[in-house]
Amino acid sequence: MADPQIERFLYREALLMDEHRFDEWLALWAEGGSYWVPCNADDIDPTRQVSIIYDDYARLRQRIDRLKSGSVQALDPLPRMRRLISNIETDASAADEVTVGSNFILCIARGVDQQLWSGRSIHRLRHSGEGLKITHKKVLLINNDQEMPLLQFLI
Amino acid sequence: MPTAPIDFNALIDGAHISGRLYRDPAIFERELNAIWYKVWVYLGHASELPNAGDFVRRQIGRQPVLMVRDDDGRINVFFNRCRHRGNLVCRREQGQVDAITCPYHGWTYARSGELIEPTFEEGYAADMRREDFGLTRVPRVAEYRGLVFASVSPDGIALDEHLGPVKEFIDLFMDLSPTGEIDLGAGTQKLRYKGNWKMLPENSLEGDYHGPFIHRIAFELHAKATGLSMSSLYQNEVPDVIRYLPGGHMVEDYRGASMAPAQGEPSAGRAAYVAAMERAYGKDKARQLTTTIAPLVYVFPNLLYIMTHIRRVQPVSVDETYVYYQPMLLKGVPPEINSGRLRFHEFGFGPAGFISPDDIEIMERNQIGIQASGNDRSFIGRGLHRDRISGDGGASGFTMDECHLRGMWQHYRALMQAPADLSP
Repeated sequence: MADPQIERFLYREALLMDEHRFDEWLALWAEGGSYWVPCNADDIDPTRQVSIIYDDYARLRQRIDRLKSGSVQALDPLPRMRRLISNIETDASAADEVTVGSNFILCIARGVDQQLWSGRSIHRLRHSGEGLKITHKKVLLINNDQEMPLLQFLI
Repeated sequence: MPTAPIDFNALIDGAHISGRLYRDPAIFERELNAIWYKVWVYLGHASELPNAGDFVRRQIGRQPVLMVRDDDGRINVFFNRCRHRGNLVCRREQGQVDAITCPYHGWTYARSGELIEPTFEEGYAADMRREDFGLTRVPRVAEYRGLVFASVSPDGIALDEHLGPVKEFIDLFMDLSPTGEIDLGAGTQKLRYKGNWKMLPENSLEGDYHGPFIHRIAFELHAKATGLSMSSLYQNEVPDVIRYLPGGHMVEDYRGASMAPAQGEPSAGRAAYVAAMERAYGKDKARQLTTTIAPLVYVFPNLLYIMTHIRRVQPVSVDETYVYYQPMLLKGVPPEINSGRLRFHEFGFGPAGFISPDDIEIMERNQIGIQASGNDRSFIGRGLHRDRISGDGGASGFTMDECHLRGMWQHYRALMQAPADLSP
């Protein structure tokens, strides 16, 4: 069974992403955190290969500034989203951080069309005075090598 | 079923473009024969196949093709179809092979296309000649600076003639490398949208007009991070930025538009890059290449160079298109130059970027808008009264003018009016 604190954290993060609560989601991150969605394969060298998202903390803040600006075309109207988180596995062998793997299925409704996205997220979480913080998040999309629609929301 | 002839003079009337050109499946079918199976189509770059046996799958219109480098270093382009029963002979998107074996009945071909073995050969007549059953070559293949183009039509103008004056602009982005060589081996972001393929080149080469409306936030974030204001591009319109080149090609030429220089001392990598460029091209040309944005280029019908990447357009149906974004890395430069190019590319482009997704969303709405039949004409008349016409049939206009779009549509009209071989 997954550590209840970690499970609660992942559910909370999912809720904030689903409801486009961008600032609250950013507050889950440790300063200096990094966010990676590889392209074409799950294991690539991001210094030599293109990613779908490869954000350092400054770029992550830019991403949030843009998403909440009100001028992102694909967020007008805001898509309605709900995701399920499951298959949680933790590795707490490092002293100060815990690595968590989890699967997601994300359903998005925008107009009459529904989209289904799925993949596995690998979080590195650090305990801080304000609870857990994300130091690194990597999202392995099952379709990262396929022609895909826009990804203009939090994954 | 016979179809009524289509009057393309009525559909493309100067600056007035009928919505039917984006929504009529019969026009899409005609485009396959009159354009995609007729003209030179861009397939990929030699740097994607560095070694013998490297291959990539591509498509020309609906037809699957395969690019393979053989043992002599030559790039071959074959129809991706087994000579036995027509199965897709290569399923993987890319990789390396010693030989190409059809998974269906095991027929095996050399990297250069010859049939090595029709399996259980004893069952075939003694006079069946293996050399009659090699993979079929796409009739015409040619390269310019490593860019591989192919044509399904055995007849037509040479690639050199097709490219014509756009070669000068291809040279400009290739010459961002001090060795004049690019590397497209950094992977591909793949996107799909529900819209006609022609909206992509139209949108990609008129960013200065729509930029202040749909890219405002991306420009602001970029300016805040780098000090470079992209708004100067549309606030002070200058002539000869927008160019139409004969052959259907379009250019946005920023060499005359000044950009604010980067603040502070350049990094060691940047300084080494500029020094290498000066050694390669001399001070004047190196300054131009390193201090202005290289012109944005559209090579008709499916190749674009946009700031950080090569973009390839793949029509799927009249209202669906695939787009491939391949970051353009430079050979002969410090690693930080290329990692910087990758990171800037991800800022702007791909499914989660900050610039092109707004274009994609707009094109999907454009596809909905043109279903409405009242006043069924788009208007691309900006700058019509002040076009500069050049002797070779090209034209140029101010930063936000639309003369290049008018030129592309004239070229499209000529191709679509030509008596095409409509046999499949």
